[in-house]
Amino acid sequence: MADIPTGAPGPRAPGQLPRQSTDSTMAHPLGALERASVVVKPATGRRPSLWEKRRRRRRDKHHSAKKCAFFRYCYYDPAFKYFIEQVLGAEYVALPASTKQTTELGAQHSSDYVCTPFKHILGDYIEALDAGAEVLVQFGGPCRLGYYGELQERILRDMGYDFEMLNFSVDIEKGAIGWAKQCMKVVNPNVKVGAGLLKLASCANMVVKLDAARDFYLANAGFERERGSFARVWESYLEALRAATADRDVNSAYREAMDAFRALPVDKPADPIRIGVVGEMFTAIDERSNLELDAKLLAMGVEVHRMMNLTNRWIRYNEPNLRVGAKDYVGYDMGPTSTLTIAAAVRYGREGLDGLVHAKSAGCTPEIDCAAVLQRVAQDFEVPCLYLTFDAQTSDTGLDTRLEAFYDMLAMKKERMRP
Amino acid sequence: MALPHPARPDLAWVQRVGIPRGLLYWRYGELWQAFFRSLGREVVLSPETDKAIVEEGSARSIDECCLASKAYMGHVAALVGRCDAVFVPSYASCHPHAGFCTKFQGLPDLVRNTFRDEELAVMSLLVGNIRDKKGTERSVAELGMRLGASAKEAKAAYATGLHAQRAADKRRATAQAAALQDLARRRAAAQASGEAAPLGILLVAHPYISHDSYLCGTLAEALERMGVTLLLADETDHGRAYKRSFDFSRTLPWAANRELIGSILMLRDQVDGIVLVSAFPCGPDSMTDDAIMRYVEGLPMLNLTIDAQSGTAGVETRLESFVDILRYQKLGGYVG
Repeated sequence: MADIPTGAPGPRAPGQLPRQSTDSTMAHPLGALERASVVVKPATGRRPSLWEKRRRRRRDKHHSAKKCAFFRYCYYDPAFKYFIEQVLGAEYVALPASTKQTTELGAQHSSDYVCTPFKHILGDYIEALDAGAEVLVQFGGPCRLGYYGELQERILRDMGYDFEMLNFSVDIEKGAIGWAKQCMKVVNPNVKVGAGLLKLASCANMVVKLDAARDFYLANAGFERERGSFARVWESYLEALRAATADRDVNSAYREAMDAFRALPVDKPADPIRIGVVGEMFTAIDERSNLELDAKLLAMGVEVHRMMNLTNRWIRYNEPNLRVGAKDYVGYDMGPTSTLTIAAAVRYGREGLDGLVHAKSAGCTPEIDCAAVLQRVAQDFEVPCLYLTFDAQTSDTGLDTRLEAFYDMLAMKKERMRP
Repeated sequence: MALPHPARPDLAWVQRVGIPRGLLYWRYGELWQAFFRSLGREVVLSPETDKAIVEEGSARSIDECCLASKAYMGHVAALVGRCDAVFVPSYASCHPHAGFCTKFQGLPDLVRNTFRDEELAVMSLLVGNIRDKKGTERSVAELGMRLGASAKEAKAAYATGLHAQRAADKRRATAQAAALQDLARRRAAAQASGEAAPLGILLVAHPYISHDSYLCGTLAEALERMGVTLLLADETDHGRAYKRSFDFSRTLPWAANRELIGSILMLRDQVDGIVLVSAFPCGPDSMTDDAIMRYVEGLPMLNLTIDAQSGTAGVETRLESFVDILRYQKLGGYVG
């Protein structure tokens, strides 16, 4: 507020007389009887008007008012929000936690034996459009994922919705340039390209920091002294990341969260039961799809390891080198997430973890093929493997029973093997 | 199982090459056979699919595998002990619009791991991108060199194989065009004489389904018994069908499904109905058949899924009723 004179003690309503002139009148030796005819006001640089000219709010010309929505995917919504708001400079539509109805809606409008993530994502999109989204974002991939976007767009349009789709499968052959052009065309033609790229790097940094904190969480939350203490820190970490607008916010949120995690008291035995979770990108991580597998394992007091996450699959993915670790089992890349699944299983076997859990969605062809390889890995390293297939059903009683039985078996085996 | 140096003739000892009669054999079989024969190898084909093969394959596969892949495992099992090495290529999806189901990508490793106890020798090659002609030639020639041929011989063998495959594809496409012409002629004749018009039905299925006498044979026989002219979508000219499929979808990632969809678009005016057949649970078909059913309009369509159950009565009933509906519609029974 540049128009406030520096001498004034506080803010002043527009049009109010300057206090100084009143003071000078009162201070006159003749008092109110003789009104001073000459008043010289000190110059404040104000316009000679009772109306204060309203300053025009400058609009950010790089901002787009389009409301964009992602589907619900694990704990990555802060990164999606950051991508939309900071990288693309548009509005992000946050979705509330999914319900049973979400999945039912999706399953109702999908083909019967399409893989399950399709149904979950379709349900998310329907809810996002109901919540006011104008642009839906979908990725592309080398399996059926590559065709998700186009089919979902058609299904939603058939249902009567009007929206735009930012589908990274379209023009995938043009690579990053094609994607950037599509982002500009669909979401924000005025995006600041240079700043956007820097923000994209910090968006990737956020994903890495999310995964790093999650790894710590999975390894230790099973042994917390106070129930729910880890989950509370995790939630506040996600909140802090959702509010982040720059790279330093991400880093400081991560530092604070990790300090808080390390400060929490844990009762961790020297040799806890350790389980490695392997599987396909969506179901192995996404808590809604795998019926909160993480929480269920942690509640039993297990140290959980999971190599599959966005960091390891996309940001630091080097398939040929990763395959070297599993070269006794595979000679070729078997599918989008297969190498990571098998290499992780081999590593867990080599490191002597107590058990493996293979989580996949119903009908996921590459992971079905992996199961045949995992059987061999489990055989060679003598590590029991629990194969879980998740479809759109939402009851978790069967899962509880199987996990408990698996845990009991591992615990008994560990007891027997103890020297 | 690291891949050895390509130039090393580490497979020179292989004299009898086993080729399982399943999956991509029905698409590239002529190429492979001619390639190995021109390198002086004996080619051993597994027998035609039958119930025993499917059962054997099912026993060796994870439950959730598709029927065609279970049958493939049965074919591999039938080759154990009958050849020096089984040829199982890996066809990957490096091209975003001409890829394959990931099953074809992981097949060599799947076979290796499934038949590990039999110590089955698996011979393989990687075709990353089928649209990349040079790259494909290079990887096939590499296999030829590993079999002990010189670079020149290996390339020549690939050329022979490619020629054989193209000739076979062309033969099928020509036969289909002739059948369509014949159908049109009979239609005109029937219209002139006032008889019931003949029916032409397009069977849309992956070649490893539609050409397999066990998986799809009863279905084709039943249709032909009803006097229907049966056209196979996978026999239409592949190149033209592939191009045409871009009218339908920009992002569809599978070459085989593109060829089928292109064929539908090319032939839809010349046939009376479409029968979609897919093996349970086919990944690509689960989405493309849905898309076809939604967006190909104006043609009656029947969507059939075949599984390992061998009873055919249900399928025949559905086909009969479908054909009845088509005939009734031709007589003007339904409006629109």
